[in-house]
Amino acid sequence: MRTSSLASVAAGAMLLAGTAMAQEITLQFWDNQQTESGLSQFQQEAVDRFMAENPDIKVEVTTIPYPEYQQRLLTAVQGGNAPDVATLDQIWVGAFAQAGAVANLAGMADAAGISRDRFFPGAWDSANFNDGLYGIPFNVDVWQFSFYNQDLLDEAGVDPQSLTTFEGLRAAAEALTGDGRFGVGLFSHRGEDTVVVVNSFIFSNGGAVLDDSGACALNRAPAVEAMTYLQDLAQFAPEGILNASSGSMRELFLNGSLAVEFWPALEQPTLQKSDINWGFVNGTAPEGMTPIGTFGGWNLAIFESSEHKDAAWKFIEFMVREDVNGDVVDLIPANIAAAEAFLAENREGPERILEQLNNAKPRPLSARYLEVADIQLDLYQSVFSGEDVQASADTACEAIDALN
Amino acid sequence: MATFADRWLLWLFLAPAIILLALFMYYPMVGTVIESFYETSFISPEPRFVGWAVYEKVVASRDFPEVVWNSIVWTLGVVVLQNVLGFFTALLLNQGLPAQGMLRAIVLLPFVLPGVVAAILWRFMYDPQLGLINSILIRAGLLENNAAWLADSSTAMAAVIFAALWKGFPFSTLIYLAALQNVDREQIEAATIDGAGPIRRLRDVVLPAIRDVVLVNVVLTTILTFNYFDLVWVLTRGGPQNATHIFPTKIFEAGFGQFRFGEAATYGVFSILVLAVLVSLYVIAQKAAVNRRGTA
Repeated sequence: MRTSSLASVAAGAMLLAGTAMAQEITLQFWDNQQTESGLSQFQQEAVDRFMAENPDIKVEVTTIPYPEYQQRLLTAVQGGNAPDVATLDQIWVGAFAQAGAVANLAGMADAAGISRDRFFPGAWDSANFNDGLYGIPFNVDVWQFSFYNQDLLDEAGVDPQSLTTFEGLRAAAEALTGDGRFGVGLFSHRGEDTVVVVNSFIFSNGGAVLDDSGACALNRAPAVEAMTYLQDLAQFAPEGILNASSGSMRELFLNGSLAVEFWPALEQPTLQKSDINWGFVNGTAPEGMTPIGTFGGWNLAIFESSEHKDAAWKFIEFMVREDVNGDVVDLIPANIAAAEAFLAENREGPERILEQLNNAKPRPLSARYLEVADIQLDLYQSVFSGEDVQASADTACEAIDALN
Repeated sequence: MATFADRWLLWLFLAPAIILLALFMYYPMVGTVIESFYETSFISPEPRFVGWAVYEKVVASRDFPEVVWNSIVWTLGVVVLQNVLGFFTALLLNQGLPAQGMLRAIVLLPFVLPGVVAAILWRFMYDPQLGLINSILIRAGLLENNAAWLADSSTAMAAVIFAALWKGFPFSTLIYLAALQNVDREQIEAATIDGAGPIRRLRDVVLPAIRDVVLVNVVLTTILTFNYFDLVWVLTRGGPQNATHIFPTKIFEAGFGQFRFGEAATYGVFSILVLAVLVSLYVIAQKAAVNRRGTA
């Protein structure tokens, strides 16, 4: 009798343990760590909250610095060790979708009532590829805002609003250059920040990188005009444009030797901590036109190799919720309602930022985006080297069209 | 004569090294060669056999001759300068100067710095506005305006070579110093008594005595320099306008930057071929050295 009771207890315990083991799911979540804002702490708090709401799901967070992130994800996918959920840079979505590495979330989003109207249009569009939805927008920002040093502008008698037009920015840059100071922080190293800034001048001049049919539009008049404008503007920028990045311009802006730098709203926390008397305007366009920025940001994607797609979807739904999204991002939440609250609390000029977010365009949604961007970088370096813009753009378009 | 048990033991001891080499060196190497005959990219994971097509595409591209030329300039520049500077520094450190131990430690410091750290340091030094180099040159009256060393196609390669020289010459110094310390003192003294001056002693006594070390060191630094990646990547990413793109940076950019694995593999195969020649030279140099020692 005693033996059989013990056996029953042991069997029951094993059954319970077995059930618990069967229920416990561990999700691997990878995210890019872009800044030193303490995101991990907030993220961990949100993850803890998710786990409290979903006791059967355990989430292990891995944050990886941006320079390594793409390669780590790529290697993981190739090696069959991809995480369940990860943030994907908007520009990687096409390639990861085409490779079959990430899951189409359209069905799950429909069922959960998650739709475009909840997010910034450009951010939502960046997750759409070949009629599928390969991510849910997580965070966003826009390249670029023109951050200016108010003291230097006052000294040179420049009205900040004049920076919003092509003509005004050129005149201001000229007035602000001299005595070891520079008017405008242009850069053209081989990095994506170069691409997005030049794109925004092209977009603002009515141009595009690719047209609606996917053909290269960089050698058409609006793009060529914008690049010619930038080539001329380069005379008012610090030396070394071809190896300079937005980071190098920030250093000069912070030490007071650069009057205008181009950055997304993400720059504000850095400037808030500085002694610089700063302000900002929304990009630059020809007189009478609206400045159009280039979208940047990250989407949450579920990997095809995940064995826990339902749990992963639950996690994504949680992370983009209005009351959570603002706590776990250090760019701007992609959820519009969360973004409004986030901007009001954390950024100067929230209305202007929202306006720029609503106007911004994503970069080309192409599986071969990285190759397109590489050709664009060759082109932009040629432009800033003083080569003929039209001829360089023709060469670039030939190379881009040959990719198809 | 080796017994069966000796041979068995020999293979047993060699087995771990052979297995590790096969697994981590030869398997990926063969895989790279095979992959270069397939069109594979991240977005088209199903490999498609295309024979020599990727080779034809790579060789016909605008980048290929630039990468080959840059690799030659880079490798020659670094190897020659590193060995010359390394040798003369070793000569200096072999003179019994005061505080010799400390001097040796100072000279070796750049070599022990991680490549990425050294590259970041040099990025700051070369910064057109904030860098130390422009500041010194302008103060010395050698430069009128800020120069953008890494952003100008005509100076970028020289600037990167100079940084690599700073980082790498202590390695050559170390090797040459060890060799110089093994040169027979009696031979040098005899040459001195016979009236040979310092240059003649160097040419006719010291250099012949360390000839094998020089040969091996030159081949070794050539292999290491040809494969150098971190310093160039952090300083210029192969730019501006491909001016500093060498094989390792091109392989990295094609594979990890643009997901074009077939193209990266093809550049990798060219790289393997060059390295195979260099490694053969190294082996020949070593054999020649052993033979000379054997017949001496």
